[in-house]
Amino acid sequence: MSDSDPVVLIVEDEPDVAETYRLWLEDTYTVRVAGNGEVGIDALDESVAVVLLDRMMPGLSGDEVLEQIREQGLDCRVAMVTAVEPDFDILEMGFDAYLSKPVKSDQIRDTVENLLERSEYDSLLQEYYSLVEKQATLEATKTSVELEDSDEYDDLTARIDDLRDDLSEMLGGIEDDDDFIATVRELNDAENS
Amino acid sequence: MPKTAKHMYDLSSVLPLAGLSAVRPGSTLLVSGPALSGKEDLVRELLADGVRNRQGAIAVRTDGNGADWVAEIEAAVEPFPGHRVAAVDCRSGRGRDEQELDTGALYYRVPDPADLTGIGIGITKSFDRLRDAGVTETRLALTSLSTMLTYADRRTTFKFCHVLSSRLGSAGYLGAFTIDSTAHDEQTMQVIKQAFDGQIELREAGGGREARLRGLGTDTGEWTAI
Repeated sequence: MSDSDPVVLIVEDEPDVAETYRLWLEDTYTVRVAGNGEVGIDALDESVAVVLLDRMMPGLSGDEVLEQIREQGLDCRVAMVTAVEPDFDILEMGFDAYLSKPVKSDQIRDTVENLLERSEYDSLLQEYYSLVEKQATLEATKTSVELEDSDEYDDLTARIDDLRDDLSEMLGGIEDDDDFIATVRELNDAENS
Repeated sequence: MPKTAKHMYDLSSVLPLAGLSAVRPGSTLLVSGPALSGKEDLVRELLADGVRNRQGAIAVRTDGNGADWVAEIEAAVEPFPGHRVAAVDCRSGRGRDEQELDTGALYYRVPDPADLTGIGIGITKSFDRLRDAGVTETRLALTSLSTMLTYADRRTTFKFCHVLSSRLGSAGYLGAFTIDSTAHDEQTMQVIKQAFDGQIELREAGGGREARLRGLGTDTGEWTAI
């Protein structure tokens, strides 16, 4: 682990469980552990990429912590860890993934990796949008003859094509409903923040 | 990819343009034209035509009543397979809610067109419903992006279109999204159309209506009277 590794915050009131998660993740990520919701909120800042959030905790519950994360407009992904298979409508909840206890090591690693990949998808999508805007500006201000002679326009078009391919390969495009909802939720949060 | 529709979508009985008789699964189309050029009627008919051909239909309406569309499709298709039809409305004015119409169609409502997450949830629930019904081919219509653009900025709307197109792509569904071409500047139109595989343009000409197709791997078609 180094300073440049993505930061994963574990919010879990059972010390043994939190320690287990830490052992599984610390080779790849910078791990922070918080023993309850209040400490968890204090440990949150812009550097946190993924939060593993226990749902049932004394004091602030996981749902309440999640609400605060969303209200603060923090750009992190949240996996809710639940003791039982969720009986609620998981789509309506604001989290990006959920895990049922007992959680296995590969489940945690896969989930964190997938959530980080989604963040990268969001960054690529933003870059893609910026280039499409630039391309549209050139098209609106230059004649088709000028565009044909423009190296800038050629480069831009090539980069847009590459990015489009990258986006469709990442996560298999938007492969499933979870990816779709999480990505749209991120758009909505970005728009409102 | 597994589980995706294998069959091409034939849209030519609704709009007889070269290039629309075999549209690749997962393709999305921007349907543009001035007000009253028939964009809404066209995409609603695309849905009804799909339902007649044993496909699913999802109507996402930012500017009107989705249940009205379900009723119009019901009137156009006999017998009406409600379990293959879903509508997402963006004008509940209150929270999100889900209900089943008398016909068995799914009806999901969100407060306003700015609630993109809610719209996404409604679309996902519609996908679930259609999967449960054993439907593999589905058409989704969204009308209109012009309304969405008054609630969300161009960046967010573009990204939403891209992400939804990508989801439709992996599901192998067909998407048609309407936009009023006279309500936005040229930059907006240029940007938004990049989120789609093709574009159907509509216009009035000589007392009648004309359409042409761009993209979908074909050259820009001629204006054709419809």
